Amino acid sequence: MRKKRILVALILVFLGISLSYAQRTPVKHVVEIKKLKFIPAEITVQKGDTIVWINKDFFPHDVAKFKDKSWQSSPLQQGESWAKVISKTEDYFCTLHVVMKGKIIVKD
Amino acid sequence: MKVATHSIKKLFAVGILMVYATISFAQEAPSLTDPEVASVAVIANQIDISYAEIALKKSKNKEILEFANRMVTDHNAVIKQAVDLVTKLSVTPKENAVGSSLLEEAENTRKKLRKAGKKKFDKLYIDNEVAYHKAVIGAVKGLLIPESDNKELKSLLEAVLPALEAHLGHAEMVQKGLHSY
Repeated sequence: MRKKRILVALILVFLGISLSYAQRTPVKHVVEIKKLKFIPAEITVQKGDTIVWINKDFFPHDVAKFKDKSWQSSPLQQGESWAKVISKTEDYFCTLHVVMKGKIIVKD
Repeated sequence: MKVATHSIKKLFAVGILMVYATISFAQEAPSLTDPEVASVAVIANQIDISYAEIALKKSKNKEILEFANRMVTDHNAVIKQAVDLVTKLSVTPKENAVGSSLLEEAENTRKKLRKAGKKKFDKLYIDNEVAYHKAVIGAVKGLLIPESDNKELKSLLEAVLPALEAHLGHAEMVQKGLHSY
């Protein structure tokens, strides 16, 4: 009887760890660049997730940290994309069209 | 009522282009065919590229140079889209009074830009960019889009609008920076 209880407890612990691990699996999010806008303009992700920006415009665009450009993609032509693993909440913009702005929110 | 509103919008669009161009060739909004709309669209883009080319030669200001380079790249991208479209549609852009007036006034503006001294040039250039983009946005919204019959031509003009608005926002930012000195 005691062995059974220990076994059940171990299974529950294992399931808990597995569930917890599954929740932390990084997710890929997509932001479209279309009609001179980041869509969605504000995106909420978890730390470690990846955001992929895809340029759908016939104008070149890039993606850079607002406003110090401490990280920045190269210019993206129509159909090109760029990915970044996200670690913190940040604002970003297109350095080629400075009125284009977006926001990444990291939720714990 | 809808027709009246449409006419007022057209008159307004033509009006601001005319104010910009300081011309008064017509009291009524012109009626444009698709080849004429395509011609005006290409001319409007070429004109802004010509202003940018002068800025790239005359200015030393980083913000002005970045803005001018952006105008060259983006307006060339629009021209390429327009040329690809008229080629696909087998349409030949047709000269017209609106385009001719724009070209005439653009030549006057280029003369002023070329004559301007180094100190005055940057402000003259960016003030003109703000005024020009406002005029073109008004004309695209109130004249070129309503006058386009072809869906793809209309769609291209609608796709260009956000870029023109972004250019205007960028120009106003540069303008604010220059005028705060």
